[in-house]
Amino acid sequence: MSFLHINNVHKRFGETHVLKGIDIAIEQGDFLVLVGPSGCGKSTLLNMIAGLDSISEGELLLDGRCINDVHPSRRDIAMVFQSYALYPSMTVAGNIGFGLEMRKVPRKQRREAIDRVAKLLQIENLLDRKPGQLSGGQRQRVAMGRALVRDPQLFLFDEPLSNLDAKLRVDMRTEIKQLHQRLGTTIVYVTHDQIEAMTLASRIAVMRGGELQQLGTPQAVYDDPNNLFVAGFMGSPSMNLVKARIVEQDGLPVAQVATEASTLTLPIVRDRDALRDWRDRDVILGLRPEAITDPASANHREGNIHEAELPVALVEPTGADLYVVTTLGGTHVNARMRPGTPLRPGERTRFAFDVSRMVVFDPESERRIRDERVAEATPIGETA
Amino acid sequence: MSAASFTARRGLATRAVLYAILVLFAVVYLMPLYVMLTTSFKTLEEIHQGNMLALPGEWTLDPWREAWGSACIGLECNGVHGYFFNSIKIVVPAVLISGLLGAFNGYVLTKWKFRGHKIVFGLMLFSCFIPFQIILLPMARVLGILHLANSTGGLVLVHIVYGIGFTTLFFRNFYASFPDELVRAAQLDGAGFFTIFFRILLPASVPIIVVTIIWQFTNVWNDFLFGVSFASGDSAPITVALNNLVNSSTGVKAYNVNMAAAMVAAVPTLIVYILAGKYFLRGLMSGSVKG
Repeated sequence: MSFLHINNVHKRFGETHVLKGIDIAIEQGDFLVLVGPSGCGKSTLLNMIAGLDSISEGELLLDGRCINDVHPSRRDIAMVFQSYALYPSMTVAGNIGFGLEMRKVPRKQRREAIDRVAKLLQIENLLDRKPGQLSGGQRQRVAMGRALVRDPQLFLFDEPLSNLDAKLRVDMRTEIKQLHQRLGTTIVYVTHDQIEAMTLASRIAVMRGGELQQLGTPQAVYDDPNNLFVAGFMGSPSMNLVKARIVEQDGLPVAQVATEASTLTLPIVRDRDALRDWRDRDVILGLRPEAITDPASANHREGNIHEAELPVALVEPTGADLYVVTTLGGTHVNARMRPGTPLRPGERTRFAFDVSRMVVFDPESERRIRDERVAEATPIGETA
Repeated sequence: MSAASFTARRGLATRAVLYAILVLFAVVYLMPLYVMLTTSFKTLEEIHQGNMLALPGEWTLDPWREAWGSACIGLECNGVHGYFFNSIKIVVPAVLISGLLGAFNGYVLTKWKFRGHKIVFGLMLFSCFIPFQIILLPMARVLGILHLANSTGGLVLVHIVYGIGFTTLFFRNFYASFPDELVRAAQLDGAGFFTIFFRILLPASVPIIVVTIIWQFTNVWNDFLFGVSFASGDSAPITVALNNLVNSSTGVKAYNVNMAAAMVAAVPTLIVYILAGKYFLRGLMSGSVKG
């Protein structure tokens, strides 16, 4: 039995079907990140777990107990809001202690709990201030303190970093991660930022249009996406998606991609069995930028490197990497090369394709074409 | 002459004209107040000499004493002080109760929305547009049924009922921009309906509370029509008493006493404006501009 079990949960607002049967299960201590574009229903789902929105259909189980009809305050859940939602007329200490006060915790005990949390978050010197006198980062800490002080079974975070500037966001992200590791709490975290999702999560749930697209570890979601949406949404710069055709060569399926002048043939390593059935049909290839490199940076050990000489369309240095753009199958393709590689647009250079990392999609259904197997990250389900 | 100094001089000239116009308007507006004040400190003989704008030749507080304690209103000659306290007894509960009810309405209409909340608010808003005169007869009947006719209690009820529309409008618009997340956070913290209202919303409502107090205080204090219709004799408010004072003086008109009584009637609203005025504009603005 998993710790938090979202079982076929639906949400309808009148005629609109906002959540169309979500199934997610996580264990105690998991850090689940719900990620997706705005309007995908991730915040609605979080509010339903909190009890702030009602559940139209399905079941919500926390530690084996059905909490569908339990009042928000009795679910043993704390939430950090996007706007922090600090009570403007109370001091920081008053804000943190409010939940305990409502639960009739004696004053002395309350004070001790507030001090403990303040120390943990390093806001001891702010306890007598009002929220209006705090900076964004400090407010964020107080909001977290208010959640932490109650020591609940489950923490909910609703885009908590979206109101901070870029630098602070990265710092707070690290802090949240450290806090999670130190306290071992179970967290459900909503964000539209896929980098936040990748760095924080122990499990990611990618959502779109009220449906769960994929649930799995960050690495599984990144390397083994279920469909074109997940492939394109996760990762920055995003995965290269290239039109190709599957043909048979020496009894094995290979992918043929049109370049500017000729045709590039890439051997197929992954999902070979499934792709045999796709002979002479169009597909979409997915290749991460880091799976296309200069030959010297490529990982030759596995022997899955396929090299080809292609024209350079554009060069984008980022400092840490050099992104080289070429054209494959009529679209621009990003390759990640060593910085300092002397390349200019118009030149030809050798690209190394790590075909073991290549994934293939059905252009019609946009689903992944993969071998049947019991993977570590099944698309939707309760393997966890 | 350089261009800069030319524009500077032109700016100065515009400013001078502007100030002159403003001063002129201020004088026009302050003139009645000046006449009232000076007249109230003059003796009757001096008033009869006819120089209305002159300062009192001989300052006297007698008109004020008389207006407060011994002027004749109808058959009684006790001055206006009894009626002054009547007005206080009407205004304080009427303002507090209508304000509190308005705040509650605003809270429910924005944070605990129910089916048809827009219609309810629309109807309450509509009550702001009902003229006083229309409700006089039905209200008299209701007060009769409630045995509240001719009492300050009845007037309090009338003003509460009539004021709820306005106070609801004020608080609803203020709370509409009050973040819902605060209410949700408080719910998760375990606070109930009333705790959220009294601990979270009300302490953050100072600007709109001030607006409501000023609005309701001036309206209720200055009301004459309801006062004269629903309360007579000893339970009349000061506006009615002032009217009776002016009308019931026999023989020579004691202008100085009348002016002093009028000033007594005007002072409380003046004080409210002076104390709370700076919050007034701020509060009116806070609903319209976010942040």
